[in-house]
Amino acid sequence: MSNLKTIPKTALNEWVQRLRRRFRVVGPRPKNGQFVFAEIETAVEMALDYPTTCMPPKKYLFPPQETLLRYHLDGSHIQAVIETEPTVIFGIHTCDVQATRLFDQIFSQGFADQHYRARREDIYLISIECMAPCTEHAYCHDMGTSHLPEAADLHLTDVGQMYVVHVNTPKGESLLADTLAEPFTADWQPIYDRVIAKKMEAFEKRLDFEVTELKELLRDGYSSPLWQDVGDDCLVCGMCTQVCPTCVCFNMEDEADLTQTEGQRTRTWDSCQATTFALVAGGHNFREARMARQRHRFMRKGKYMHDAYGLLGCVGCGRCGSTCLVNITPIKVLNALYQEQHAEQIESDVPEMELSYEDVTARSAGVAVDLHAGACENNGRTHPH
Amino acid sequence: MPVPARITAVRTLTELEKLYTIELPYGLTLDHDPGQFVQVSLFGVGEAPISICSSPSRSNGLFELCVRNVGDLTSKMHALNVGDTLGIRGPFGRGFPMERFRGKDVVFIAGGLGLAPLRSVIYEAIDHREKYNRLVILYGARSPQEMLFRDEVNAFNWMDDVEMFSTVDRGDEKWRGHVGFVNSLLNQVHLNPHNTVAIVCGPPVMYQFIIDDLIRLGVAEHDIWLSFERHMKCGVGKCGHCQINHIYACLDGPSLSYTEIKNLEEAL
Amino acid sequence: MSGTVNELPRVAFFDFTSCEGCQLTVLDALQTHPELLKVVNIVEFREASSARSEDYQIAFIEGSCTRPGDEERLRKIRETAVYVIALGACAHLGGINAIRNRQPLLDVRQYVYGDKAEWYDTYPARAIDQVIQVDAVIPGCPIDRDEFVRVVTVLLQGRQPKLPDYPMCIECKLHENICVYERGQVCLGPITRAGCNAICPAYGYGCEGCRGLVSAPNMESFQEVLAQHGLSQAEIDEKLSLFLTNQTLLEKELVHG
Repeated sequence: MSNLKTIPKTALNEWVQRLRRRFRVVGPRPKNGQFVFAEIETAVEMALDYPTTCMPPKKYLFPPQETLLRYHLDGSHIQAVIETEPTVIFGIHTCDVQATRLFDQIFSQGFADQHYRARREDIYLISIECMAPCTEHAYCHDMGTSHLPEAADLHLTDVGQMYVVHVNTPKGESLLADTLAEPFTADWQPIYDRVIAKKMEAFEKRLDFEVTELKELLRDGYSSPLWQDVGDDCLVCGMCTQVCPTCVCFNMEDEADLTQTEGQRTRTWDSCQATTFALVAGGHNFREARMARQRHRFMRKGKYMHDAYGLLGCVGCGRCGSTCLVNITPIKVLNALYQEQHAEQIESDVPEMELSYEDVTARSAGVAVDLHAGACENNGRTHPH
Repeated sequence: MPVPARITAVRTLTELEKLYTIELPYGLTLDHDPGQFVQVSLFGVGEAPISICSSPSRSNGLFELCVRNVGDLTSKMHALNVGDTLGIRGPFGRGFPMERFRGKDVVFIAGGLGLAPLRSVIYEAIDHREKYNRLVILYGARSPQEMLFRDEVNAFNWMDDVEMFSTVDRGDEKWRGHVGFVNSLLNQVHLNPHNTVAIVCGPPVMYQFIIDDLIRLGVAEHDIWLSFERHMKCGVGKCGHCQINHIYACLDGPSLSYTEIKNLEEAL
Repeated sequence: MSGTVNELPRVAFFDFTSCEGCQLTVLDALQTHPELLKVVNIVEFREASSARSEDYQIAFIEGSCTRPGDEERLRKIRETAVYVIALGACAHLGGINAIRNRQPLLDVRQYVYGDKAEWYDTYPARAIDQVIQVDAVIPGCPIDRDEFVRVVTVLLQGRQPKLPDYPMCIECKLHENICVYERGQVCLGPITRAGCNAICPAYGYGCEGCRGLVSAPNMESFQEVLAQHGLSQAEIDEKLSLFLTNQTLLEKELVHG
């Protein structure tokens, strides 16, 4: 149960300055007409009401490239490299916090990863309540990540002149200099409740089904013809996996220096969309078709991750949908998959109705468009015998 | 983190394959199960998963890897000699569940380099011979020159309680044995399908044929065991490369029963 | 690895039809990585030295093959060197020289050489590997300095250098550049091999594909994207032929003079 405090907005910069004595402070800031997480020196540089960032703050927890080992090429002097810097990430959205939970699980379960865990230990998360969906592609509300005030170390809610602060962990507690934070008195409760109620009104449901149905939807939709359409469109540019806060796949490579005396092993982000991702030495590619690669991405996000780690691999941030040049968006794909199955459901629910040949072909042809409406219409036109 | 291990012996098996005997430092032992793999590092070059081809029952503190020269790392590995160092992580993955094979007729079906991982299981079974009923080894190579462990295959031929059958896809003037793919040997074995487990390892194209034949002969799906080769980076279920649908070949495999993978499109 | 100069691998640089900008980048790399000179013995490099040699193990070739006479020289290099490396887009793809492959050759010659057109025996520009076997490629126009150093390092290990085989978009996102398409322009990033650190989009320009196509690009869908962003078929063809003529045009479409 979190402890509540308040911080006046006017004290924000002083807070940042105090934190900067102990930490690298990172926050959302504008860059070329979009927002990115980057180091800040003053609070003014931050845009805490940013819609979303190009890349998620994952880059601080799990850098795109990190050195894991250094060694001499003769196999001596093997040393693990742990690179970490105490960092406060300001203004992280709750969807991205949820992604951090998944990462914590992945790198702690089974073989723990010392590189990640050491870095994670040094990272402090201050999340902020989103007041409206950040883009048309976000579906955090459907994924249950739009309101998670108790997930990060500290959570800020903008209530006008003040931020209401949820203090969730001892790490969070340590960030709050007592002189700045003020008590959360009973007067604040109705104000906070109003803000949250108003926020909830701003988020509409964007998926046609409940998140609890997602795993079954994907399991049953594995052989759907829809994946072929997705594969036909996909440019295999890899941007969807690059901007994803939960994509964790990586490559490891060794390199030597020019004089062939020392070397290092690096870990870099990889993408399941890359042609060579599942290629083995003998030349066999176990996931060659674009359609299979895109389907794997969806299956992994919506089912496999949950099977393995108990958490969904999608937090609904919508970045992949926003960045895709051919409009492969989870909302579109998942809803189409649902509608496809839903239409079949209706079809199998009415076995007693005999359909004319025309009705049947019209229905199967209409699967890709508005299935619900199509099915009802067909029912209405069925000849009674 | 890889430990620096020393190569204590190198034996050339064929033009493409060499057998390395490896010793871990500080008196460490590998303590692997038959069917597991290690991640082998060549410092400054890279790392690759390689099946352990020696049996834990004959380890003597050392272990063996059979390496085919097919890529960047393996070609550099072929240049290594006795005394050279390489890095070892592991053992990783799930080996074959030997306890389940107790009292059964165990049929090993190996194609090409697939004999290497199975060799660890074969010796494990021979060294605990009393636990199993029949031990049958079916081995297919492309040509007589490409046959691995020829001396050992010969020794199996002479063992009273091991049934060894070899075949080549293409014979030569000296070859007196069977010619044909490895599945063609199945007819010679007279399996008792109700008491048979099959352990299969070979190139990707081989699996479906063998499985179809075994099922046709009446072997139960859960008694067909396969070893899977995949692109792997971490070996510990994180990097994502080896995934077969939801299964991680490095954690849940590389040894899996047909029951576990038969509905997975990405398996075969 | 380092020893006396005479024991080091002997390296030579050769140029064909090109601007020699890639060799300038190599000179640049020699300044940022002076240890290069401790690990190789450069026996021929016209940009830096007047020395000549017919004894070398590693040959870097810049430029494309554009005249019958080039073929003989290329074959000689191939016979001498253990490793032949195509240096830069001209050697790798034919480069911008290959733009002319889409036009009648005589017209091109007349446009360039006027009434002396007959004096020049140029023919369609080809990548080096269309003439001789090439062991490795360092793509780009010009090449990336760090990639050059990495390739040399790997060659000295006796290994085959590997290029990134994913599209440039992956690097572009890492730099959090704004997508060129968002700015209403087009970019060949989705189909182009990465390795340049998305330098053009970082400066606000769309990728022109100088590093060549990534393996198995989805050309059909990509051309639709270009069309949706307002390019006519002629403009699409033009876009795909600044560097990619030889990779995207079918052999039959090449116009032979």
